[in-house]
Amino acid sequence: MSEQILFKREEDMPYHAISMASMTWNKTGSWRYLRPRFDNKIPPCNAGCPAGQDIEGAMVLIGKGKVLEAWELFKEENPFPGVCGRVCFHPCESSCNRKDFDEAISINALERFMADTASRQGRKPSSAKRDKRKEKVAIIGSGPAGLTCAYHLARMGYGVTVFEALPVLGGMLRVGIPEYRLPKKVLEEEIDQILEVGVKTEINTRLGEDFLRNDLKEYQAVFLALGNHRSKSLGIPGEDFAGAMSGVEFLRNVSLGKEVTLEKRVAVIGGGNTAFDAARSALRLGAKPFILYRRTRDEMPAFPGEVLEAEEEGIEISCLVSPVRVTAENGKVSRLECVKNRLGPSDADGRRRPVEIKGSNFFLEVDQVISAIGEGADLSALPKNIGLKENIILTDERGATKQKGVFAGGDIIQQPRTVVHAIGSGKRAAIFIDCFLKRNKWQGLFDLIRIGERGSLSMKRYQQEEKERVPLSSKTVALKDLNLDYFDYKKRKKMPQAQISKRVGSFEEVNLGFSEETAREEANRCFNCGVCNLCDNCYIFCPDVAVLKQGEDEPNVIDYDHCKGCGICVEECPRDALVMEEEGK
Amino acid sequence: MKKIMVGNHAVSWGVMLARAEVIPAYPITPQTTIVEELSVLCADGRLKAKFIPVESEHSAMACCIGAAAAGVRTFTATSGQGLALMHEMLHWASGARLPIVMATVNRALGSPWNIWGEQTDSLAQRDTGWLQLYCENNQEVLDTTIQAFKIAEEILLPVMLNLDAYFLSHTAEPVEIPEQSQVDNFLPRFQPPFRLDPQDPHSFGCLTPPEYFMEFRYKIQQAMLKGKEVGKRVDEEFGQVFGRKYGLIDAYRCEGADLILVASGAIASTARVVVDALREKGRKVGMVKVRLFRPFPKEELAEVLQGAEKVAVVDRNVSFGVGGIFAHELRAAFCNEKVRPPIFSFIAGLGGRDVTPQVLNDVVYQTYKRSEPDEQSVWVGMRS
Repeated sequence: MSEQILFKREEDMPYHAISMASMTWNKTGSWRYLRPRFDNKIPPCNAGCPAGQDIEGAMVLIGKGKVLEAWELFKEENPFPGVCGRVCFHPCESSCNRKDFDEAISINALERFMADTASRQGRKPSSAKRDKRKEKVAIIGSGPAGLTCAYHLARMGYGVTVFEALPVLGGMLRVGIPEYRLPKKVLEEEIDQILEVGVKTEINTRLGEDFLRNDLKEYQAVFLALGNHRSKSLGIPGEDFAGAMSGVEFLRNVSLGKEVTLEKRVAVIGGGNTAFDAARSALRLGAKPFILYRRTRDEMPAFPGEVLEAEEEGIEISCLVSPVRVTAENGKVSRLECVKNRLGPSDADGRRRPVEIKGSNFFLEVDQVISAIGEGADLSALPKNIGLKENIILTDERGATKQKGVFAGGDIIQQPRTVVHAIGSGKRAAIFIDCFLKRNKWQGLFDLIRIGERGSLSMKRYQQEEKERVPLSSKTVALKDLNLDYFDYKKRKKMPQAQISKRVGSFEEVNLGFSEETAREEANRCFNCGVCNLCDNCYIFCPDVAVLKQGEDEPNVIDYDHCKGCGICVEECPRDALVMEEEGK
Repeated sequence: MKKIMVGNHAVSWGVMLARAEVIPAYPITPQTTIVEELSVLCADGRLKAKFIPVESEHSAMACCIGAAAAGVRTFTATSGQGLALMHEMLHWASGARLPIVMATVNRALGSPWNIWGEQTDSLAQRDTGWLQLYCENNQEVLDTTIQAFKIAEEILLPVMLNLDAYFLSHTAEPVEIPEQSQVDNFLPRFQPPFRLDPQDPHSFGCLTPPEYFMEFRYKIQQAMLKGKEVGKRVDEEFGQVFGRKYGLIDAYRCEGADLILVASGAIASTARVVVDALREKGRKVGMVKVRLFRPFPKEELAEVLQGAEKVAVVDRNVSFGVGGIFAHELRAAFCNEKVRPPIFSFIAGLGGRDVTPQVLNDVVYQTYKRSEPDEQSVWVGMRS
């Protein structure tokens, strides 16, 4: 030690113990045994969207006023944001982490806002069309599943023809959902945009027996999306009298502009969306409808919003009531005999089953009965070996049936019967039809394009080249993963609605959309779960100045030469967009 | 220009005139209005400084250390509990030879809670290597703030200036505001002999083994002693430029006095009134105000006090188990002197209790009455 002494006397020494040599060599990052890394994760809204839309990404863009860019982002995955922004049951919102903080983001209303803004400005989706391909694909059914599949395949360059039995395109969107929920104009505009990509259509074309073999020989792949257009029957005496009809038929006739004569008292049987759509349509046509449902409100499959709006409009809902017989006078419905129920044990689906109370029969004076207790598919034209189970087509995880080259989606396969699930299945089929036609391996594909664990797939990631595809975390961010100290409570924005007096007797749209200001404010409520939104908390908090800024709108980077691995950036990230890892792993 | 201002704003304006460049601060009663005013001065551009709101006093001082190490003029202010929280960093600031200036608004330390004046907070930091100055009025507060930077930057040690909670901090008095150009001439830009340069990083405050540590400490002691000469010279220079000087101590009517009161801070101004009244009555009483406490101005005090028969020290502070701290320091300073008047120790005005002329008269009376000081400090102005 003694020979190292440099200073002989106190006077020779400096004021303070400061190293003589420069310390630039000392990369203090070498002290680190844990390292932070920017790591975007899956926002729960994205994982919860069966159509696989980048909702979080759109929230950032809307929040910055880039509404059309947000719309483009949605259009890459789903050709129907205007439709979904109106009729989707928005599982994204029930997945939103904000709902357990204060209230979920109004994603559905914002989706509509994007689409309405694009429509007002006459915007068309930018063409993502690749090279023309020689293969042709037939799509049976022009509902949300069929048209979504057609849209994506056409954008990939395939020749696509959509066959539709009805004289109009859109399937249940067109003939099942009433105008006041989904204006025809909105639907038609989005369908037109699909057709403009280069989709051919054959309307009024119901394919014949064994059509797969007979009619579609020139197509290398087929997508079945026939939809559920057949009502289940009540199975009670008197169902066939004049004045009794199914909800699906009633709504279809109203939509197609056929003459629908309604008497005053209309009993609508059922608790699903079709029942409510039928009742509310009947109200608008001047009738006095009421709803009879065999279980209680808790078991109703209709969207809560629909139930609420129906009640606001004055539609009476009677629960725990089942019809047992329709009686007629002069061949016309006059009375409905009903029985009261109580709730018994649970069904296989977990809902409590109605049990008839003996001797509780009573009569209702009615002029008409509309039954809406569920729909099924008419699959009579399909070959038996396609793989059926209880009138549902069996498919694998790609949506492929047992027949080579034949895929299926929408309401006729085993999945929830919603518009957004139909859209998701159409997109999935497009991806795997592409794989099928290119003879590409598909087994490993799910890991690359899956968004979360609930079956959502990303078309954007599918279309990306291998090298531009950033590895995606499989973790879906939960509320507990967020640093909530950085968020204020803020009420959710609601869309204004048309006055009730104007709703009754008119098919004008009920919900009225957001203003731009409201939309921006609402989008900025988004936590941006798991995705860096350049909030700079890491930059502000880093005690070693080891988080470096690169420029406007550029992601920050970590200077590993000097990061000591303290983890403050990870802790203070409000949205779980950083992870801490062991060094050298 | 004269302005009516409270003591706290006198600090803020002193800092503005001194052109401090970095001000990390955390608010605490009764210091708050110092940094509040500084944040206003920074926000409206009258003071071009980086104002850093920090999360604690410990951080405030740590931040001052960083800024001062980079060679910029640095200021902060605190009080009572906040100063106590800074303690660790106070040692670091002096050890690193950083000329930070801090205003301490003297406040009693809890428990129980008390937000009023008492010097125990700053006196508890007497061994941290900071120079300490105690001010009597708001003019002195402003002037001392400016002087403090000049002293600190010459000897490379931090300086703490102290003012009484409320009696000065929140009491408005007319204050002469010096001309900026004159202050700029008096206090030019700080030229640090060493500084931390991010472009050429060096390790600061490296682990120093026993072979060298003592020498660094010795240097601080030498610098502290030099602080007395520098303090005296800076005050003289200040007097030449601005027409006001305060001395390291201030002897008031001590000529021929048989009893001299020793006081500090705002109590000194009350003592002046009491001395005047007693002199009217023919009593030979004087007063010495101790303005510089660290380094302790022994020679200056000896010169004045050795002429008296008795010395009575009034302490608005207490070191439990010993008594009044100024009295204790004075006794220690005089113990090797041949001529040492007996030193009577009185404790008064703790936790903001008013030290009225009556209380000081009682101190004088009790000192006359006793032939020798009591073993312990005598507590005056107690409830009876």
